[in-house]
Amino acid sequence: MKYAQDIADATQDIFSSMVMLDVTPEEPFKRVDSQLVNSISGIIGLAGTTKGMLAIHLPDKAALAITTAFLGMDVEEIDEDVCDAVGELANMLGGSMKTILDPGGSDVQLSMPSTIHGEEYAIDCLADAELVTVPFSFNGQTFMVELQISQSN
Amino acid sequence: MEFAKKIVETTEEIFNTMIFMEISADAPLEQGKQALGCHISAMIGLTGGFSAMLGIHCPEAIGLAISGAMLGMEIEEIDADVKDALGEIANMVAGGLKERFAAENIDLELAIPTAISGKSYTIASSTRSNRVIIPFSIEQGQFFIEMKYNLN
Repeated sequence: MKYAQDIADATQDIFSSMVMLDVTPEEPFKRVDSQLVNSISGIIGLAGTTKGMLAIHLPDKAALAITTAFLGMDVEEIDEDVCDAVGELANMLGGSMKTILDPGGSDVQLSMPSTIHGEEYAIDCLADAELVTVPFSFNGQTFMVELQISQSN
Repeated sequence: MEFAKKIVETTEEIFNTMIFMEISADAPLEQGKQALGCHISAMIGLTGGFSAMLGIHCPEAIGLAISGAMLGMEIEEIDADVKDALGEIANMVAGGLKERFAAENIDLELAIPTAISGKSYTIASSTRSNRVIIPFSIEQGQFFIEMKYNLN
């Protein structure tokens, strides 16, 4: 799947250098019509010559473990720190994808990240866009990184 | 930059001309983390002169009423049509804001819209960002247009 390898590389890079966690990419797929349960998601828009949306979806437990590793302090509930950390991860992943989509650096820009947290929610792609989801595992936990790219202009 | 004023004008214009619904803007909510008690949202990123994320957040009944009016049919549950309709509204409001900022020589580009739906979720913005939330009233209740932004 297009961009799956880029997502895997970018995510492994960011996690090993910024979060100090080794994460392993699993088989990419297209996530459709599925609910996220007890999870937190960070989303960020890509706009310019290529339009899209990058998302990271983390079960609460994975989000707590990652934020603890990222901030170097214990977090026990989904609070502002966790939301900021997940937004920042979306921002860093968006930045990596931007350099892949736009090597020149002037044609694609990132919007502001946003985080969604809930017991049960769905995040659906609406535009006529290509979707790829890459699951990752670490220490017995999982999360997903997802990219939607609109080819129409 | 008059974010609140631009959001109110743009949203009223879209609802009057595209959805044929009368809406009235209420006072902006206090900034900060607010639980809006919503069941269907659509969000779209904007970037360029500044970076932002625009969202429309609706309780279920309001989301159904708005998408029903927009599509000209009765809708009974949050389905793909409702998500598409709200995504289209987010897209149109963001497009209207883009035009208003362009008139002040602030260029913006739009990302693509995404729908969020569910029994319970909250949407947070970075603690470092600015946030404007405007409630709008229709006959059936209130919905919210939210814009988070960083002036880079």
